[in-house]
Amino acid sequence: MDLERLAGVIRDARARIEAASDLDELSDAESETLGRRSEIAVARSGIGRLAPDRRRDVGRAINEAVGTLTAAVEDRRSALQAEAENVLLEQDRIDLTLPYGRPARGTHHLLTRTMEDVCDVFRAIGYEVAEGPELELAWYNFDALNTPPTHPSRFESDTMYVEPFDDRERSGPDELLLRTQTSPMQARFMEKNPPPVYVVVPGRVFRTDTWDATHSPVFHQIEGLAVDSDITFGDLKGTLAYFAREFFGVSARTRFVPHFFPFTEPSAEMLVWFNDEWLEMLGCGMVDPNVFEAVGYDPAEVTGFAFGMGVERLAMVRHGITDIRHFYDSDLRVLGQFR
Amino acid sequence: MKVPIGWLADFIDLPTRDPYELERILVSLGHEVEGIEEFGPSFEGVVVGRVEEARPHPDADRIRFCRVDDGTATRDVVCGAWNFEAGAVIAYARAGSRLGTDTDQPLEVGSRKIRGIVSHGMIASARELGLGDDHDGIMVLNDLGAATDDDLGRPLEEVIGLGDVVLDVSITTNRGDCMGIRGLARELAAYWQIPLRDISPSFPTGPENSAFEVSIRDVEACPRFVAHQVDGVRIGPSPLWMQLRLLAIGQRPISNVVDVSNYVMWELGHPIHTFDADTISGRQVIIRRAEEGEKLETLDGVVRPLAAGDIVVTDPSGPIALAGVMGGASTEVCETTTSVLVEAANWHPPSILATSWRLGLRSEASARFERGVDPNLSALATARTVELVALTSGGMPRSRAVDCYPIPRRPWTVDLKARDVSRLLGPNPPFGEALSLLERLGFGLDRDGRSAHVDVPTHRADVTRPADLVEEVARLHGYDRFPDLVRHGTRGGLTPEQLAVRRLREALVGAGLTEAQTLSFIGQDDLDALGLPPQDPRRVTIRVKNPLREEEAILRTTLLPGLMGAMSRNVARGLKSVRLFETGRVFTAGDDPEDPRIPFQPFHLAMVLSGPGVDVFAATGLVDLLARVAGRRLEIRQDSVAGLHPGRGAVVTCGAADIGTVGELHPAAVRKFGLEGRVAVAEMGLGPLVSAGPSWVLEDVSAYPPMVFDLAFVLADTVPAARLLEVVQESAGAHLESVELFDEFRGGSIPAAHRSLAVRLTLRAMDHTISDEEAAPIGRGIAAAVADRLGGVLRGSI
Repeated sequence: MDLERLAGVIRDARARIEAASDLDELSDAESETLGRRSEIAVARSGIGRLAPDRRRDVGRAINEAVGTLTAAVEDRRSALQAEAENVLLEQDRIDLTLPYGRPARGTHHLLTRTMEDVCDVFRAIGYEVAEGPELELAWYNFDALNTPPTHPSRFESDTMYVEPFDDRERSGPDELLLRTQTSPMQARFMEKNPPPVYVVVPGRVFRTDTWDATHSPVFHQIEGLAVDSDITFGDLKGTLAYFAREFFGVSARTRFVPHFFPFTEPSAEMLVWFNDEWLEMLGCGMVDPNVFEAVGYDPAEVTGFAFGMGVERLAMVRHGITDIRHFYDSDLRVLGQFR
Repeated sequence: MKVPIGWLADFIDLPTRDPYELERILVSLGHEVEGIEEFGPSFEGVVVGRVEEARPHPDADRIRFCRVDDGTATRDVVCGAWNFEAGAVIAYARAGSRLGTDTDQPLEVGSRKIRGIVSHGMIASARELGLGDDHDGIMVLNDLGAATDDDLGRPLEEVIGLGDVVLDVSITTNRGDCMGIRGLARELAAYWQIPLRDISPSFPTGPENSAFEVSIRDVEACPRFVAHQVDGVRIGPSPLWMQLRLLAIGQRPISNVVDVSNYVMWELGHPIHTFDADTISGRQVIIRRAEEGEKLETLDGVVRPLAAGDIVVTDPSGPIALAGVMGGASTEVCETTTSVLVEAANWHPPSILATSWRLGLRSEASARFERGVDPNLSALATARTVELVALTSGGMPRSRAVDCYPIPRRPWTVDLKARDVSRLLGPNPPFGEALSLLERLGFGLDRDGRSAHVDVPTHRADVTRPADLVEEVARLHGYDRFPDLVRHGTRGGLTPEQLAVRRLREALVGAGLTEAQTLSFIGQDDLDALGLPPQDPRRVTIRVKNPLREEEAILRTTLLPGLMGAMSRNVARGLKSVRLFETGRVFTAGDDPEDPRIPFQPFHLAMVLSGPGVDVFAATGLVDLLARVAGRRLEIRQDSVAGLHPGRGAVVTCGAADIGTVGELHPAAVRKFGLEGRVAVAEMGLGPLVSAGPSWVLEDVSAYPPMVFDLAFVLADTVPAARLLEVVQESAGAHLESVELFDEFRGGSIPAAHRSLAVRLTLRAMDHTISDEEAAPIGRGIAAAVADRLGGVLRGSI
């Protein structure tokens, strides 16, 4: 076969390969153009009979032709395979807006979340988390916190007491009540731990309040206490301002104004500028020396600050909730909005 | 307490009258301002007029025809009031003026024909002008000392001095001294460093001494009692300026003597009581504690039984006033009173508190006595009252007061060291500055280097210790001026228990449950609804002594009633699928192991599930999830559990301890909660789930492929599936990686009361591939053990 003739064979073969419209046709084309009986295969087997001076050129040309055509077959095969797969994939098309299997997911209660958030803000600066009993001794709820025996907050119109349930006599400081604040844990914690103390106490508290949009007989507070050898009023301010920024956003501004609580002196109320108004957010102050004495700390040796905030109030302000009853009704349409 | 700014100006030259600036300053001093309101005219176009002529209407009996000079012209006016004659200076609402401009529907005064005569405008009563309740007649301004002929034609509001801004100030319970205008003015004077312009009452006196004899039987109950008699009193309305101030603070003007009492209480913060002196028997006043069984008709007409601790003012006939709380009806000042006994007394705060709360009689007076009133103020308060009674009623005070003050209160001394200030407040303000701040507040000083003796004025009973003085320093220095320092603590981690609780909650939320918070109270009905037998430990309850409602009278011993209530409310609202959980304390009657003085109040975790496809396995699956998250081995021991379906209930155990229950709620209980269908529940103690165990250590995993094969056994129905799995696990040898039950089959060739249970075993070795030859004897060993221990028959062969 001369080289001219070979070029024609290659041209024809390539056309034949590229014309194959499916994989079967391509197999036929491959065996016709490159198979044992193909013109090229026949020519290759005849190379030995050629004159030695042509043998090299023709041989190289035929080998190149085989390589070219083999590559053409492979290219065509890939193309045809891809086409075939595309057809199958097109048949597999579905409507992605059909309902899907919704992964199960409930929600945490917003009060739990809020308490965790607050605790985490304080944990980040080294405060531990402790919890105290809900059914508490009057001693811890009132007496240890410097509340006079005649104070109206002790009246049944404010505080829930329990009926006798065993043969023990419980009166005065030993009387059992549903704690009206998380503050009793201040005294419990200090009794058990020597200074320094850095702790926050989330928990449930109780008052004889009838239900309305802002009152609930059951609610939650978070108490905080820092006691060390050198704590000043500036520490209280800065720490609580830090909390406000972390909880309400970095732009939260705070203001501290004098107030009165039996268990702190000086006492303060922290206001937070949120949604264009100053809101009373928590009560705080320097721990009253009488509290230190009640728990066996030496008021000459330590100073400290304490604060208490309402969890419902924090959540209501931050999330625009106007009715406290949403927290306790367990309406899934409401709970489901919590995140 | 309502504080008209104009009233404050009686005592200090206010550098500003801007209510918002005053608010800012008062708040910075610790006096919260809860509101700012205008007290101004609720009318427009009303002027001072004079009645020139008043004669009966020609065609009507009850009304009169008047001619009124309004400064520019004389107008015809028809009027229904008869409490004036020609010459009276009155409030004339011209045609075109408007009344009630502070309401939604102001009244436009016009000219209208009344019984044939055109009335141009009207003569107004106090009520029509929003200046009190009086509608018996029109306001006669010259009688009230409010206007004269010189004022004709001038706008009424200008003439009577109407128009002030009122701050509503909330006074904390420790600051009784600020329960009066003068006390707050004293605070502001200290703030601005300006003088307080104090009052010094003066009045003419008659020749007679007070003939009253006062004796105090209990000095603790009554440290001081001052009384002063005023004779020749004519009861009538108080002057308009006084009425306007009382209206501004929300007090209704009543009569001169009563109004003066209220006025002085507001001005000085010292409650005043007045008696009709002629009604006191024997001209003798005795102060003592009430005796059990005594009664007093208070001036609201209620006969009240007295308790032994109540303090009473008595005369020889018995109690005549409930001290500090309410006067008695028999000695009340009324229209016919001519002789008044003014009382300014000091009462024991806790006793007043107890009495006023017990009787539900909380008043402006009791609010002041509860906080404590300075006994050294009583003489001034008496004098001020006598001055104003004399001024407004034409009475003549007797020559002196009776003042019974056995143990006068004197200033006390608190020693303050520089360090007391700096250890609480830091380096600023320095000691010298701190002392000058105290001086501004009226504290007496005797400085001795780094310390000082501080004399506390007697109106500051709240200041007894260095810390109290430090608060005064901080307050006047300004809380805003202290630095903001972030105080870091020492340990910010969660305990393993706290961390575990968070993870358990997270797992349940991830599994599709929503967390609820239900009340800590339940009712007896809830325990009945659960069908708990009498001996059930959840029936050993603690009752609230003063519950809000009977349904909330018991402290919960189980979380289920709260969650079931939540479920039924949600179902009633149309939700089909309800899956809730809660963690919270329950209350037992046993002692807390850490503090036996209080009952044990463990945290529980409970869940309730209902809706399509929910049965007991929804709950057991979640118990298994909790076990995996907690890293605890929890077992389910099927048993008859109170409140649960008899065939679908179990006890959850952890090691040797029973920690809770799981199952379907008994259908009867489901119905009691207003529901139907299957409700799966679980409740367990949280403590055992989260108590800190040893930390887990990673186990190595094999690189070799597993050998998996199935075995099926015919077993009696009485053999729980869990038993089969146990026996397989115990007999499969060391290479068992896992075993799971994948099929339960009844019928066909299986005998009655039997079932086929099929398990899939995965074997894997750490160091080689397990071959069929190695697996076969393991399978036979398991089959033998199942046959031997459970009577199970292997289906097929190995």
